Amino acid sequence: MRKTGSGLQIDENFPLTKGALLLGFVFLLLLPVVARYSDYVLQVFTHALLLATLALAWNILGISGSISLGHAAFFGVGAYGSVLLSLELGISPWFTIPLGGLVATGFAVITALFCLRLRGGYFALATLAFVEIPKVITDNWDSLTRGSLGLLGLPGLPTLSLGSYHFDISASPVASYYFVLSYALLLICLVALIFRSNLGLALHAVRQEEAAAEAVGIQVQRYRLLSLLLSAFFTGIGGACYAHLIRYVEPSLVYGLHFSAIPMIFAICGGRFTVLGPPLAALVLYPIDQFIFHPLLPAGHEFLYGAIIILAILFMPSGFWGRLGKGHLVSAKTGSIE
Amino acid sequence: MSLLKLEALSKRFGDCWALKEIDFSINEGEIVGLVGPNGAGKTTLVNLITGRHRPTSGRILFADQEITACKPHEIRRLGISRTFQSSRPFAKMTTLENVVLGRIFSKEFQLFTRQTDIDTAEQLLELVGIAHKARLPASDLTLSEQRRLDLARALANQPRLLLLDEVAAGFSPLAVKQAVELVRRVRQRGVTLCIVDHFLTLSLRVSDRLLALDHGEKVAEGRPQEVMRNRKVIRAYLGTRREEN
Repeated sequence: MRKTGSGLQIDENFPLTKGALLLGFVFLLLLPVVARYSDYVLQVFTHALLLATLALAWNILGISGSISLGHAAFFGVGAYGSVLLSLELGISPWFTIPLGGLVATGFAVITALFCLRLRGGYFALATLAFVEIPKVITDNWDSLTRGSLGLLGLPGLPTLSLGSYHFDISASPVASYYFVLSYALLLICLVALIFRSNLGLALHAVRQEEAAAEAVGIQVQRYRLLSLLLSAFFTGIGGACYAHLIRYVEPSLVYGLHFSAIPMIFAICGGRFTVLGPPLAALVLYPIDQFIFHPLLPAGHEFLYGAIIILAILFMPSGFWGRLGKGHLVSAKTGSIE
Repeated sequence: MSLLKLEALSKRFGDCWALKEIDFSINEGEIVGLVGPNGAGKTTLVNLITGRHRPTSGRILFADQEITACKPHEIRRLGISRTFQSSRPFAKMTTLENVVLGRIFSKEFQLFTRQTDIDTAEQLLELVGIAHKARLPASDLTLSEQRRLDLARALANQPRLLLLDEVAAGFSPLAVKQAVELVRRVRQRGVTLCIVDHFLTLSLRVSDRLLALDHGEKVAEGRPQEVMRNRKVIRAYLGTRREEN
């Protein structure tokens, strides 16, 4: 699998991949043209893209070997952080969204203080418990958050004008779609960069053989912390985008199991440790769930995710993308990283 | 000149003294064998030197600098490397990546791997004789190849002191012969070696000196043939004869 040159490369043993990726990209780019008369289709894909970014963010922690069951905490803290900053201080959402990411990172520091010494299942359970902390605070701090009533009519994202074109991001489904699509593409590039960098290499090493990683000079806890903070930051940004796009937050919504479990399911099904697996799973599975299973079983359609994760773990533990095995991004200079 | 100096080094796990008051020093350029039966404290000693465990009491000095409280990554940067008793490659990375990892985290952080680091790693794979497997996953290597990989990874930061933990355990006679040559080649690069060796497969052939441990205590030290004639060492390995009791 000798590679030459540098930059991201798709393995040549799987010739369809490059073409398929390009096709998928064109499909995503042109979707609003095709689906312009159906806001529903666009909304589903917008949410799928948002979930794709969450799966990407979850996976930054995932490659270090830690499984988080509590990313909804970062999602919710990011959402409330951004929303309250824009409501109370009147700052534009353009600035409060990254600030929301920073607030989520702040909460991740607190989580890390208590959870990072744990490993495996213990870490996972601790993160699950940690979702309750911001949720209970948000639920009860009525004067600031209006508690479980939630906050309605939030400031949306302002209109972007480009010559004679106006993109009213929050009001127009097409503009919302392109906004989330741009963020998703940006995050894919960032995550690919992280995976290809020595930071990514260190995280892979920590997961595969912690003792050996320590022995070659990797500061294991520092890298685990860094991956948690990065993961929380982008999850927080995801939460903030979500809140400003739907212009509504409520504790049971943004701290819900949905935002802890679904990104993890997509990451595991798509292929943990790969860059494109998690977002791809989000873009395939969520629309299937919404278009096919939701009409059939309005109450229990999410059983699909349960079934899929069981099947994935039994038959393709490295995920769809990992299973293809050849579609992954490879390190150009030193052969393959999984 | 002594490169590594242990002063009254002790380690207690709960009620059990894994090491008791060990005084020892390793000179620059030497090959020292660390021998003793199961549970003697050999691996514990390696773990103390490399900062994986903190000693209960005593001091460790490396090149006249106290390193007793140093963290593993600091010790690696100072130039002490180790291999593991059961080799621990990063199984899902390529052989080459494993060695590159041994190099890039022993110095100041770089965001991306440089070509020079890759070239050095390839030379090390050449040295240990598995250059032809450079681009295979480390999990595809045989046991003896994995040990070689472990060795190359440990050499990657150009250590001054290398601690080999049971590097030849379970090797065939031919593989042991190759390992002897390899150890000598490593010494020629100016590396001081400490070889942990339960069955003395390597240390009897290459060591300048032996340190024998039993139940956490030093029972003998000196030239290999002398140590092997030492009654306490024989007793530790073989037990006592009935008539001696």
